[in-house]
Amino acid sequence: MLAEGLNGVLGHSALIIGFAASLFGAMALASATVLKNPRLLRTVQAYGTLALVSAVVAVIVMERALITRDWSLSYVQKVGSNNTPTLYNVTALWSALEGSILLWLLLLAIYSYVIMRRYRKRLADPLVAWALVVMFLVSAFFFFLALGPTDAFLAAAPPDFMRCCRGPNPLLQNHVLVLFHPPILYLGFVGFTVPFAFAIAALITGRVGEGWLVETRRWALFAWGFLTLGILLGGWWSYEVLGWGGVWAWDPVENASLLPWLTGTAYIHSVMVQERRGMLRVWNLSLLVATFSLTILGTFLTRSGVINSVHAFSDGEIGPYLLGAFGVIVAVSLALIAWRGDQLRSPGAIDSAASREGAFLANNAVFTLFAFVVLLGTVFPLIVEAKDDRKIAVGSPFFDTMARPIGLVLLFLMAVAPALPWRKASGELLRDRLFWPAWCGAGTLALSVLLGGDGFAPLLAFGLAGFAAGAAVRQLVLATRRQGVRGLVGRTNGGMIVHLGVILVAVALAASNSYTRAGEFTVAKGETVSFAGHTFTLIDIDEFTTSRSVGIRAQVSIDGGQAYAPAISKYTAFGIDVATPSVRSGFANDIYLTLEAGSQPSSGVAKLKIFIKPMVLWMWVGGGLMGFGTLLAAFPGRHRRKPTDPVSAPINLTSEDVAHV
Amino acid sequence: MSDEISRRRIAPIVVLVVAAVLGGLFWVLAGSEAENDTSGVINSHLLGRTAPSVRSTTLDDESFDLARRKGSWVVLNFFNSTCVPCIAEHPELVAFAEQQAALGPGGAELYTILQFGDRIDSVRAFFDERDGDWPVVRDDDGGINVSFGVAQVPETFIIDPDGVVRLRWAGPIDAETLATLVQQQRDAYAPR
Amino acid sequence: MKQLKRWPGWVLLVMVVAGLLAFGTTRDAGARTPEERVEEISKQLACPVCDGESVYESRNTQSASIRTEIKAQATTTDATDDEIIAYIVQNFDARTQLVPKATGFESLVWVLPSASFVCAAVGLFFVFRRWRLAADLVPTDDDRVLVEAELKADP
Repeated sequence: MLAEGLNGVLGHSALIIGFAASLFGAMALASATVLKNPRLLRTVQAYGTLALVSAVVAVIVMERALITRDWSLSYVQKVGSNNTPTLYNVTALWSALEGSILLWLLLLAIYSYVIMRRYRKRLADPLVAWALVVMFLVSAFFFFLALGPTDAFLAAAPPDFMRCCRGPNPLLQNHVLVLFHPPILYLGFVGFTVPFAFAIAALITGRVGEGWLVETRRWALFAWGFLTLGILLGGWWSYEVLGWGGVWAWDPVENASLLPWLTGTAYIHSVMVQERRGMLRVWNLSLLVATFSLTILGTFLTRSGVINSVHAFSDGEIGPYLLGAFGVIVAVSLALIAWRGDQLRSPGAIDSAASREGAFLANNAVFTLFAFVVLLGTVFPLIVEAKDDRKIAVGSPFFDTMARPIGLVLLFLMAVAPALPWRKASGELLRDRLFWPAWCGAGTLALSVLLGGDGFAPLLAFGLAGFAAGAAVRQLVLATRRQGVRGLVGRTNGGMIVHLGVILVAVALAASNSYTRAGEFTVAKGETVSFAGHTFTLIDIDEFTTSRSVGIRAQVSIDGGQAYAPAISKYTAFGIDVATPSVRSGFANDIYLTLEAGSQPSSGVAKLKIFIKPMVLWMWVGGGLMGFGTLLAAFPGRHRRKPTDPVSAPINLTSEDVAHV
Repeated sequence: MSDEISRRRIAPIVVLVVAAVLGGLFWVLAGSEAENDTSGVINSHLLGRTAPSVRSTTLDDESFDLARRKGSWVVLNFFNSTCVPCIAEHPELVAFAEQQAALGPGGAELYTILQFGDRIDSVRAFFDERDGDWPVVRDDDGGINVSFGVAQVPETFIIDPDGVVRLRWAGPIDAETLATLVQQQRDAYAPR
Repeated sequence: MKQLKRWPGWVLLVMVVAGLLAFGTTRDAGARTPEERVEEISKQLACPVCDGESVYESRNTQSASIRTEIKAQATTTDATDDEIIAYIVQNFDARTQLVPKATGFESLVWVLPSASFVCAAVGLFFVFRRWRLAADLVPTDDDRVLVEAELKADP
């Protein structure tokens, strides 16, 4: 038996206590609700607090082990090394499988605790109780994973420095974004557990008609905001580090993060119909269930090793557990929906397709279709392998072809929906409201053609983007005219700002996908080449050594100005080359330089690849706008109503009205 | 509100359809295995066909042409000086080379083919440090790697005296296995 | 201004947009550099050793050799894009191509989404039609009696 160090013992104990606390918390709460015995509720808060403390202790112990290079833990041997800088050593916590489960666990425990505290006075309400039961059960599952299949505190044999202790993957130790992207992404993933828990509770108790799903809208928005930010940061990181000049590769793990985002976006739109007209209730429940299930499925795909991806980090053992969890979640949710679904459907109906409700329903359908397509493309290699026993790969060409028309439809919906009134729109009304936005679209199209754009799809995208931007701005102008600055706050208006952000991202993607220019040049020291209207001079090329890598770095001056230094480093412990591109960002385009293999510093020759990528900066600006808009949307707008109030106000009939009936 | 609007039971139908689709997905995922490292004898489109032309220079600046090696058994090892399994494999290749040399003129000839972008001075230093005096062939534009379809180093190919590719091994190999495989090919060989 | 927003304004808009699109689509963008051609080809090939990355994205040594090979073939021979792709696919496994074929079992990945879209569109159409028909109801006498009874009970 391998001797466990102090860290191992502490970690294991914390996880065992956390597992027990979550499990007992769920049981206590469930029995209190089913047996209608409020006295059992007194222990629940203690269990919840204990679960949180355990998760925090486990993470602190693991960080301590990493920082002190405690080689008695096999996880530290896996991702730690003696010469990793402190920052990357700390972020090594989530750089491999076991630690990432710990991070997930910590966030889940925090969310559960916050929910428990926020609704502590209402634990006797079955809806709150069941939601908390679900959260405790999910926490218990992750505690079990961290104890069993992915034991982060597993003791290890004394280190064999030939094979171990090389540090985290080189791609995870050369950019500071590793500190932000995973935790923010996880805040999004884990955050969707909360609205899911409430959805299950609503299905169990049959209470969908009240404002509960609406109350959890803020939680969903919070999670969605972080997920959006996480995905955008991932794109930025990919751009800055990977060296191929792109932001999104339709890699299976990227798709796994996109899937819950798609259904989550559909939800935050569709819930507005429920708030306003009490409809689409079962759609909303299904979307929440789908979002959470997709986060678990995504975790499975990333960590089980069944699909190859440059992001995947798997050891194979955890796969069956996550797949099993996915199966249980889907089975339970589907059973509940089949049982309750029809009783919970609103008796109302959408009057007309040309209405805001109609647009949101179409929106739901389009996003669901998009999610289906992405999921199909991602798992299709597995399906073909299961049937024909041969391996194929499905990559960007497929996804791009599918995403383009869907993206155009979404842009169109974004343009038309803000102008649509609730209930029913007439042709005249639409003609009137959409006039200026449509001319905005035409103007954008004209501008793109003027600036040299070509190709049907990108031009159509620009035109629709202008149309959508016009509609969003129109809404904002109307709101601020009525309410001043306060008009920028609230669901609708904050949402318009988010839309503007999305439009910027869409335009930037369309432009950089269609109009990137690339050229490869072999340049000698002191030589200048010109490409796409810019000149590039190789000032110097030299070798450098760090404690973890050796590399070649070139100094390139663009247009005679400041020097940019693309490099390639070989991380000696791994034998992996990591490119460090150098980017000059600008308003109109980014000049992206990479140093290619084959450069010889000894002879002063550099092989440079130069990309001129239009409008990439707009993507990050758009992302910032999306975040800002999400914040604004979280605040209450003008018509502040308590979410748990009935949806329709009672009508007061006078005797005259009665006579007309 | 009239009674004609009945609450149709569509939820179970939708659920059934979704459940069927997800059940299929579940079954496919459950049956998938995590891909293990493929090591060992693997397929190549070149098996049974004449090896692609290999014309390049060695590290010692001598010219190398695979076609001129006809008449002897040739073992091509694709190598990169920084790939960890290649480094681990190297002593085995040294042992194999010695063993084949001891067989006299019937012994197989071992050649290393480099990869695109591998630093020449690092390779020279590597071979100086760790022995190995067989010719090391450069592949400066990577064309040899591509024409042989080398997916990941190290890979080893056995080519018969007629220049036909007989075997492809992916991953590191040890001296004994390699010698046995070469001997098996010798035994099965029928001169054209 | 109001009149502008009626059909003349919209017809003008449609004409302008159609004209711009037609012009922009048929405009000649200029020749591709060899690198851009290599880019397009390499985006369709999967790197043989990486996990699902395309040859274009991957920084792997093998991908670099494949890209060099594509460039050599593009610049020195007059092979078409498809011929170059076929050559690379021939040397490696069939897995190399990133675009599923349009025939056989693989075509499902194209067919299913299109079929789902058609189903969704048709479904939405029928659902909206049913709701529109339902909304056109007129209260019957039974309904009126019911309402009056309720109002009497609760003034």
